[in-house]
Amino acid sequence: MPQTSMLRQITDFANRANPYPLYEELRKTPVLHEEEDGPYLISTYHDIEALLHDPRISSDAANLAAPGADELSGPEATGLPPSFIRLDPPEHDRLRRIANSSFGPPHQPYRIDNMRGQLEEIVTGLVDGLGDAREFDLVDQVAYPFPVTVICRLLGVPREDEPRFRAWVDPIVAGLDPDTRTAADSEKAAQEARLQLGMYLNGLVEQRHREARDDMLSDLVHSHGPDGSMTTMEVLSTTVLLLIAGHETTVNLITNGMLTLLRYPQYLERLRDDPGLSVRIVEELLRYEPPVQLLPQRTCIADLEVHGVTIPKGSRIWFVLGAGNRDPHRFTDPDRFDPDRQDIQHLGFGSGIHSCFGAPLARLEAQIALSQLARRLDGPRLVEDPPPYRPNAVLRGPRHLNIAVDGIK
Amino acid sequence: MRLVVDLNRCQGYAQCAFLAPDVFAMHGEESLVYNPQAEREQRERVARAVAACPVQAITADGLDGFAGGTSDAAH
Repeated sequence: MPQTSMLRQITDFANRANPYPLYEELRKTPVLHEEEDGPYLISTYHDIEALLHDPRISSDAANLAAPGADELSGPEATGLPPSFIRLDPPEHDRLRRIANSSFGPPHQPYRIDNMRGQLEEIVTGLVDGLGDAREFDLVDQVAYPFPVTVICRLLGVPREDEPRFRAWVDPIVAGLDPDTRTAADSEKAAQEARLQLGMYLNGLVEQRHREARDDMLSDLVHSHGPDGSMTTMEVLSTTVLLLIAGHETTVNLITNGMLTLLRYPQYLERLRDDPGLSVRIVEELLRYEPPVQLLPQRTCIADLEVHGVTIPKGSRIWFVLGAGNRDPHRFTDPDRFDPDRQDIQHLGFGSGIHSCFGAPLARLEAQIALSQLARRLDGPRLVEDPPPYRPNAVLRGPRHLNIAVDGIK
Repeated sequence: MRLVVDLNRCQGYAQCAFLAPDVFAMHGEESLVYNPQAEREQRERVARAVAACPVQAITADGLDGFAGGTSDAAH
């Protein structure tokens, strides 16, 4: 092959800081299939949106014609059953409904709203903790510890155990990266870590069986609605999912947010005087720099025709959300960050039955963190641009974001 | 403040019911009920709900000063 494939370029770490020119190229072939047994890449807004609502699309690895090493995620390989993100209806619906009954309306309409004060306090504590530093790393000091503290509190996982479970979370997240997951040893490490994390959480589940508390873990353990209850294994795989999703994505939303605001300082300025603007800023961020760049875990349960291309049953399908979000057929001037645009919509949280479970929490976290940072950082500026990135092509964001300030209010 | 939800567009994502629970509520898993004459002190929450609706089904007036000063965030 004379040229490096688009697929390889997208997963290539060298393009992590700015994948958007590649996506522009990608959209010229809306259904791109470069390698035998390789994925079909879908990159336009309307195609992604339509297919995310198509019942022929499956998230269950059992429907892949040629499962790879990464799909050995069944009980025999990891000890944990797949969580609802890797299941189709009706099992997906049952587990997601039970999980939601501990998280949101109609059963718990106030759980997230009641956390607003706590969210503000956690950010205040972290920004206070910067002291009189003239330079700090936003990731390590605010954007990572904030959502970790929140998800721990919400689930009922002791915050002080974070160093323990971080050692398991990192390999699991690396296992989601299409570039590393083909490597057998990284896959093995991910499965081992998932099992270890599950065993750790099982200790907490046993505690909740004895004594319920005001947290999601207790509600999951004691759930008994019209959908029945979760088995202990289902509670564990759901909790692993929420723990990881609850902080590995929001860290990037906050960090991408601050990076973007420092590149477009007029909005940082306006946000300082008008915290209400954070609502539109976060929506536009979810379009412009989505923390989840692509969904690589789908297939189809029947042959699918898209733009005259037949995608055979059992093929791998990637939805490149970051490309759809910058589709000029959907958005005027898509490469401009513009929170004032009248038509902010995005694929940042996916769409359809798998749309982001934690979206309301992620939105509040990002709105609160960015508003407070705008208000309290005096003369913030980027120390390096672009910043160093995490390796992951799916959960994309800076590893560090060093910011210099004149002071902290 | 007045608000309207286009219930033909609404797909039951429930984002509004998370973000403004005193204005929007889920009746069962999919049906939405809401107060079309929300109190003024709900403005901040309503602004968040309007912006979070994945299908842009909510139209509200009286949001001036929130959501970047846009009075009608649904178009």
